[in-house]
Amino acid sequence: MSRELDQTDPQSGKPAAESGGRPSAISFRLWSYLADRVGLDAVIALGVKKRVPIHSSTLFYFLGGMALFLFVLQVVTGALLSLYYKPSPDQAFESVQAIMTEVKFGWLIRSVHSWGANLIIGVLFLHVLTTYMMRAYRRPREFTWITGILLLGLFMALGFSGYLLPWNELSFFATNVGTKLVETVPVVGYHLRLIARGGENVTGDTLSRFYALHVAIFPLVALALMGFHLYLVQKHGMSTPERLPRGLGWYSGLPVLAALGGVVPFCLANGLAVLGVSLWKLLLVASALLLVWLYRGQRPKSAASRPATRAGAPKEDGPSMPFLPDFLLRDAVGWYLALGILAALAALFPWGLGEKANPFSPAPEGIQPEWYFLFMFQFLKQLPGHVFGEWLEGETAGVFFFGFVGLVVLLVPFLDWGDRSRRLLNGLAAPAVVFFIVMTAWGWFPDDPHLSVILGTSLLLGMLLLAVPFLERGQTARVGLWILFALGVLFLLGVIADLRWGLGVGHSLTERLVLWLGPR
Amino acid sequence: MIGTPVSVGRRNWLFAVLGGWIAVTIGIIAFPVVLFLWPRKVTRSGELAMVADRLDQLRAKLLKGEWPAPFDFGGKPCLLVITPDGAERLRQGKALEPNDLRAFNAICTHTDCTVEFRPQQGDIFCNCHNGRYNLDGKNVSGPPPRPLELYKVSLRANPTTGQEEIVVSRT
Repeated sequence: MSRELDQTDPQSGKPAAESGGRPSAISFRLWSYLADRVGLDAVIALGVKKRVPIHSSTLFYFLGGMALFLFVLQVVTGALLSLYYKPSPDQAFESVQAIMTEVKFGWLIRSVHSWGANLIIGVLFLHVLTTYMMRAYRRPREFTWITGILLLGLFMALGFSGYLLPWNELSFFATNVGTKLVETVPVVGYHLRLIARGGENVTGDTLSRFYALHVAIFPLVALALMGFHLYLVQKHGMSTPERLPRGLGWYSGLPVLAALGGVVPFCLANGLAVLGVSLWKLLLVASALLLVWLYRGQRPKSAASRPATRAGAPKEDGPSMPFLPDFLLRDAVGWYLALGILAALAALFPWGLGEKANPFSPAPEGIQPEWYFLFMFQFLKQLPGHVFGEWLEGETAGVFFFGFVGLVVLLVPFLDWGDRSRRLLNGLAAPAVVFFIVMTAWGWFPDDPHLSVILGTSLLLGMLLLAVPFLERGQTARVGLWILFALGVLFLLGVIADLRWGLGVGHSLTERLVLWLGPR
Repeated sequence: MIGTPVSVGRRNWLFAVLGGWIAVTIGIIAFPVVLFLWPRKVTRSGELAMVADRLDQLRAKLLKGEWPAPFDFGGKPCLLVITPDGAERLRQGKALEPNDLRAFNAICTHTDCTVEFRPQQGDIFCNCHNGRYNLDGKNVSGPPPRPLELYKVSLRANPTTGQEEIVVSRT
């Protein structure tokens, strides 16, 4: 094979060389040399050919790449940490302490790793939610969705297993709780718990197991799943959200419902708390009403006004940009931003270490899991010892409930087969998002209603913003959404003002919140 | 021989053998792996009884305003609880009544956290999910589904020193 620089080689795109104007001879030669031997041309050609649709929600396409970038950071920082970390109950805490205090820049590496773990889960939550909103799971992308949900579960498992490694009080009891919950699985539960812990109790054997899972087994599975996920993304191209005709905004799925299901019950709950209506009953009634409303919701004006692309064929004619270099460069800007945020978080708020675990001392006060498990934690806290009489333990019921929700999320592509089922799904998704946010905010500040309401309302307002790209300018739904947003901001400002200055008008509000949030 | 029809029955039989062979191979690989994952034998046997404290030391603690902390009883945390009346009796140097001292497996029946004795509230509390037990170990509020496991407490004089010791035992 000739190594001559043949500019007119028809089969290779050679975009780097071509777009660069007049490249220096050496770099061009090197490029050709490599391209010839490792087939770079094919990769580049693929990247140039791949097009990313441009529309109001294009921004959401960047979330997946962001998660990938954060994963690479986790691998790098994790590998560095493993150089000093010692997985044994006698040494784990001390070795992390040494990383934080003695090793040069150890505090930075560990803080980036811990913050990165939290950031990656947040990005993945958003990625899943926006994918759901864009309905990108439609045929033929069912398996992209399923691998994505499995990856989310795997990353939560990575977070959980990594949490134990410093062997401090919090992580010790968090692992006790988490592995105990496994026992609710029927028949084999007890044996699963034994295998998860490597014994009856959480001991050094548990630490070894979690270490192996965290640094070898989970990352390998994650890599395989990510490979499959990315392959599917390449194979099917980017999904374009279905555009519904003007005027059907109320009909177009989650965004508006999330909005309604989000702020309205949250405000209502505050108002109703004073009447003694518990949050549970309220959420239940709200969900039921929402479902009823969905089923009798407006029909499209005529069958003809329905979009023709029911099967989810992406619109080929819309505006788009090439993946290489346009999309990738924009992606890189996002990564750079994430790197900056991570570095700032790590530098300003280095990750704490806490007290060394002592299996024979009581669980410390104010014990909490990582934020992405808070909703389950807070829910478990509320459940009584037994539900439905005496035959079902509250803990088992809770775990079954979350397991069922997880299964529904996993199977979303197969549950969305028509207008009605989709409305049912959306009707369930909106309260689920609200539930997640309310529980997280409540669990974060269990003793401070002000702060938890501020956090919860801010997150719900964020959810509202996510819906904006899906609604057309001037549409009733969009106007309604902005009104709702403004009301939410006012409410938020009111709570902040009450917290800051203890306004007289806010006094009753505070009392209501305490009534609502406080222990029963 | 070319053209000789292969019996379908024989082919299916061969497929079945092949499938069985593969299944056996997988089984042979899986068996040791599963057993490997199984927890190893605990080298330390859980004692059936142990001395929790000496009575005079407990009294000294109470007089200082301290309360007994959970301790390691056969690999599990054990909580020794003295009732407020009993504590008062002990402080005054009077003899204890039979039910003044209680001992529990300190593992919360909800999700296995270690519980603590709260003398001010007069209860046993789990910080993980706000589970509350009374001093009989009965679950009173919060998520715990069952009472705490109760151990037997007895007093005996040490055979060598003669000092009174608090002994907890599994029944």
